[in-house]
Amino acid sequence: MKSNTTGQELKEQLDLIQTMIAEGRQSTQSWGWSFLLWGVAYYIAAAWTMLGHTYWAWPVTMTVAIVLSAIIGSRVSRGHPETVFGRAIGSVWKVMGVTLFVVLAGLGVSGHYNIHVYMAIIGGMLAVANGTSSLILRWKMQFVCGLMWLGAGVAGSFGSENQAAIAFLAAVFFCQIVFGIYAMMLDARRRAPRGAAHV
Amino acid sequence: MSEPGVELPELNPVIHGKLRLALLSLLAGVEEAEFTWLRTKTGSTDGNLGAQLQKLEEAGYVTVEKKFVQRKPQTLYRMTEQGRAALTEYVQALKQLLGQAMEA
Repeated sequence: MKSNTTGQELKEQLDLIQTMIAEGRQSTQSWGWSFLLWGVAYYIAAAWTMLGHTYWAWPVTMTVAIVLSAIIGSRVSRGHPETVFGRAIGSVWKVMGVTLFVVLAGLGVSGHYNIHVYMAIIGGMLAVANGTSSLILRWKMQFVCGLMWLGAGVAGSFGSENQAAIAFLAAVFFCQIVFGIYAMMLDARRRAPRGAAHV
Repeated sequence: MSEPGVELPELNPVIHGKLRLALLSLLAGVEEAEFTWLRTKTGSTDGNLGAQLQKLEEAGYVTVEKKFVQRKPQTLYRMTEQGRAALTEYVQALKQLLGQAMEA
């Protein structure tokens, strides 16, 4: 076999291996839509709360967001191969989501509703999730989001309830809505020129 | 020409085929992959793809799992440890041969 193989052919084989391995690794599905969905859900819950339905607004909105995430997530991930990267990042977000939901629901049901406590918990948890996945993906933009959530969590501990709410809504806008749209645009650009390898 | 006494490695004929090499390389980057995803990535036909995957399976380089998800058939392929070792060995042999070809 080696006597019939030229240097050019060998190089082509090596290039093919590198291209295909990269194709496989980049095939994890995009999750930009989920940042956007949760950002919108937070705004809906906040607006609903301002209308005076404090008791129902957050549990109902968050439950609907969870159901929508599960439905859209299962459709988006269909046909995509699972990678170690994808599973690691997905695990961080799933565990964070479940923990946040249980802890906040517990606080709400027990009657210890306090926006400063909520802000500290949400900000801290989202800082951990964004920070961890940004370090795995080496994604500076997401690392900035992690820092913003951390800042919002700390800032929310100070000042009045209104100031805490403004810090929370600002973090949601930049780290969920703007970041979600940015991630979706990046993903669309990344996928656009790609076709079959035709080997 | 190789130097006397320097033994050049043989390239594994099972992996050397372009489509089989592409399939093993794709599977090296993921935990498991569906037949349809492999078809999209390689641009191959169903028949050719099935035949090449069967050769890789017979060599012990991939395993296949067939199941039904929401009543739809799904065929999943995974690279085995043997397949990973063979691909690594193949890459090392390629590099060695390429080095020799550059020197010649």
